[in-house]
Amino acid sequence: MDIFNGLLLGFSTATTFGNLLYCFLGVLLGTAVGVLPGLGPIATISMLLPFTFGLPVDTALIMLAGIFYGSQYGGSTTAILMNLPGEASSVVTMLDGHEMAKQGKAGRALAAAAIGSFFAGTVGTLFIAISAPLLASLALAFGPAEYFSLIVLGLITSMVLASGSLLTAFGMALFGMVLGMIGTDVNSGAARFTFGTPNLLDGLDFVVVATGIFGLGDVLANLENERSRAAGVAPVSSLFPTREDWKRMVAPILRGTGIGVLLGVLPGAGVLLASFSAYALEKKVSRYSAEFGKGAIEGVAAPEAANNAAAQTCFIPMLTLGLPGTATMALMIGALVVQGVQPGPEILTQQPALFWGLVVSMWLGNLMLLFLNLPLVGVWAKLISVPYQYLFPMICAFVAIGVYSINNSVFDVYMMALFGMLGYFFRKVGAEPAPLILAMILGPMAEEYLRRALLISHGDASVFFTSPLSLGTLSVAALLLLSIVSPRFRKVREEGLQEAD
Amino acid sequence: MKRREFMVLGGTAAMLASSGTAWAAGKWPSKSAVVISAYPPGGTSDIITRLVADVLTAKFGQQFVVENHAGAAGALAGGKLARAVPDGYTIMVSGSAPIAANKVVQKNLAYDPQVDFTPISIVAESPALLTASASAPAKSLQELVAYAKANPGKVNIGNPGAGTKGHIAAAIIGQMAGVEINHVPYKGSPPLLADLLGGHIHFALDAPSNYLQHIREAKIRGLAVTSPKRTGELPEVPTVAEQGFKGYDQTLWFGAVGPKGMPADIVAAIRGAIKEWIDTPAAKEKLTSLGLTPVANTPDEMRVSIQREIESIRPLVEAGLVQPT
Repeated sequence: MDIFNGLLLGFSTATTFGNLLYCFLGVLLGTAVGVLPGLGPIATISMLLPFTFGLPVDTALIMLAGIFYGSQYGGSTTAILMNLPGEASSVVTMLDGHEMAKQGKAGRALAAAAIGSFFAGTVGTLFIAISAPLLASLALAFGPAEYFSLIVLGLITSMVLASGSLLTAFGMALFGMVLGMIGTDVNSGAARFTFGTPNLLDGLDFVVVATGIFGLGDVLANLENERSRAAGVAPVSSLFPTREDWKRMVAPILRGTGIGVLLGVLPGAGVLLASFSAYALEKKVSRYSAEFGKGAIEGVAAPEAANNAAAQTCFIPMLTLGLPGTATMALMIGALVVQGVQPGPEILTQQPALFWGLVVSMWLGNLMLLFLNLPLVGVWAKLISVPYQYLFPMICAFVAIGVYSINNSVFDVYMMALFGMLGYFFRKVGAEPAPLILAMILGPMAEEYLRRALLISHGDASVFFTSPLSLGTLSVAALLLLSIVSPRFRKVREEGLQEAD
Repeated sequence: MKRREFMVLGGTAAMLASSGTAWAAGKWPSKSAVVISAYPPGGTSDIITRLVADVLTAKFGQQFVVENHAGAAGALAGGKLARAVPDGYTIMVSGSAPIAANKVVQKNLAYDPQVDFTPISIVAESPALLTASASAPAKSLQELVAYAKANPGKVNIGNPGAGTKGHIAAAIIGQMAGVEINHVPYKGSPPLLADLLGGHIHFALDAPSNYLQHIREAKIRGLAVTSPKRTGELPEVPTVAEQGFKGYDQTLWFGAVGPKGMPADIVAAIRGAIKEWIDTPAAKEKLTSLGLTPVANTPDEMRVSIQREIESIRPLVEAGLVQPT
C-alpha cells in the first residue's frame, strides 16, 4: 500500500465518531496529566490500560497515544506559568518560559510552545508515514544479532544522554538490568533473584517500578515546592506572538523538530533527551544566546518542538520492530498484545487500518491540542491551582488502585511504595531514573537475543561484527561512548544538561 | 475539563480497573475473567486461546480477557495459572508444553501440571511442520539429514520453546537419523517465523498455522509434516515417515485447563461451551484453515492425553536426547 492510499485509509479510520471521540478524550486527559505535576503519562496509561480491553484495538491505541503526546503540550503550560515541570520533558521549558511569564509575556511563551509543538507534531506524523513502511520492509534483515546490537545502542544512548555523571547513569542501567532479571528465566524456567517468594516469580512489573519512581517519587519531590509555589500562577496576557516573535521562532522550531524526529526514532533517547539536546543546540547557534535563561523565546520554541516531534516518532521502532524505546512505548506494546496484535514488521500488512489510523489520528490529535491549549489555557491554569493537599492524596490513591489492578496484588502496591521512596532518593542524589527503567525493559530482551544469536552461531561471538547492520549499530554505540570521553563533547553535554538541573 | 469531571472520570476508570477483585460468589460468571495465553500473540496457541476466549465471552456474557505470559516454553504462564484462585475466573488455553511436557523437560518447573491443574478439554490438534528458509542448504528432509551428517553439529532447527512439541519432534528425527541437531528455542512462533523469513535460521519445527501462507507464496519451503498422513492444507508436503522414518508420528494438541480444585460445575460449563462451538461448521472451517483438526473431549480424556504425553517424552529425556533445562 502506498502512502497516499494509506493516508486515505487512515483518514477513514481516524474520523469515525468513536475514534475521534477517544482521540479527543486521550489528548484532553493527556493535557490534564501533563499540566498536573506528579501525574504523568506512564501512570495514567497504566491505570487506563484495563479500561481499553473492551475497546477496538485501533480506538484503544489512538486514545493511549493521545494521552502520551497530549501530556507534552500540557507540561509546558505548568512550566511556563508556574516554573514547575508538569511533565519531566518540560523541565527545560521552565528556564526561559517562566522568565518570559515573569516579564508579562506568558501568553506569547505559551503560543510559542503550542505552535512549535503543533508544527513538530505535523512533521513527526509525516515522518512516520514515510519512514515506518521503509523500516518495516527492512525489518526482516534484523536477526537476533542485529536486535541485540540495537538494544545495546539504546541502552548506551540512554546512559550518554542522561543528566548527571556517566558513571551514575551506568550504575542505574546496571541496576535496571538486575531488576529486569528478577523472576523466571525465559529460556530455562529457573527462578532468579526471587528470594524464595512466589510474588517475584513473574518478575517485577515495570509499571509498578515506573509508577513508583515517576508517580510517587514526583509527588514526594513536589511536596518540597509547596511553599515556593505560593507565588502562584503567572497571569496570561495576549496569546498572539508579535512579528518579532515569529521571526525568532521559525528557525528554532525547525531545528528542534529535526532533533526531535531523529532522537525519537533512536531507541533509548526519548522525549526528555530530545528537548535537552534541542535547548543545548539552540543556545550554541542562536544569535540571541546571551538572552538564554532570561526569557528567550527560542529557548521555549525549540525544546517544545523537539519533545513533541520525538513523542510522535518514538512510535516507529515500537510499531515496526516491536522494540520499545521508552517505558511508554512498552506500555503501548502491552495494550496491543492484550488485543492480540504483535507489533513488528507484519503490522503494516496485517493491520493497515490500525497503523494508518494511528498516524492520521496523531495529526488530528495535534490539531485538537492546539485549540485545547491556546484558547482554553485559563481552564488549565485553574487546574494547576488545585491545592496539593487535595491533589496529592488523590494521585496517591489513583496510582495505588492502578498498580493493584494489574495483578490484584497488594505486594505490588508495597513494591510501588518502595520504588517511590527510591525514586525520591534518586532525585535527591541527582541520578536520572530513565536508564534504569529502560534497562529493566530492554535487559531481558537483550539477554534473549544474545543467547539466541550465540546458539545459532554455535557460540561464535563474531556474528555481532560480521553482520553489517549489527556492526554499524555497535559502531554508533561505540562512537557515542567515545564521544563522552572526549573533553570537547563532554563540555557541551554538561552545559546542556546542567542548565536543566 | 474541570477538576470535578476529572475526578469522576478517574474514579470510573479506577473502578473499572479494580473490577477484577473477587467479591461476587453467587452465579458464575458475575465479572470478567482471564484466559491465560502461554505464547505471544499471533502464534497458533495464542490464536486458539483467543478463539476460545471469544466463544466464552459470547456464551456467558462476561468479558474473557486474554493475557499473554510468554516465556520458558509456557512455564511462566503455567506457574501463573497454578498460583491463581480456582474460582473459574482464571483459566489457560495452550499447547501441550506447559500442560504436560514441561514436567519432565524442565528441571526447575515451579508446579506439577498433573497435580496443580484441572483439565477441561482439548480443543484442537495438528501435526507439526518442518520448514526451511529460502536460503537453507537443504530442500528436503533427506537433504537435511545428509547435510547434518556432512556438517556435524552445524544444523540449527528453531522451535517455539524448549520442550515444546517442535523441540521433541526434531529431537526424535535427530535420534532416528543418528545426527546431531542444535535446537534453538524461541519465544513462540512469530519471532521464529520472522527469523526464518529473514534467513537468520534455516529450519523450524512448529505448529503449521503461521507458515501455511508463506509456503504458498514460496517464501519458505515445507519439508515435512509429522503426522502419519499428509494434511489437507498442504497436500504437496510429504510426511516425515514417507522420507525414511518408519512409524514416525508426532501430534500436537491445544487444550484448556484451570487451577487445581476448580468447581466441577464451572469446568462442565466451560467444557460445554467449547464443545458446542467445536460442533459448529464455522468452528470446523476456521480451525481447518489454520491446519488444525477440531477436538472436543472430556476432562478425563484430557487427563489421559496429558499422562500419555509425559510418558512418551520421559524416555527421550532419560536418553539425553532432550536436555532438561
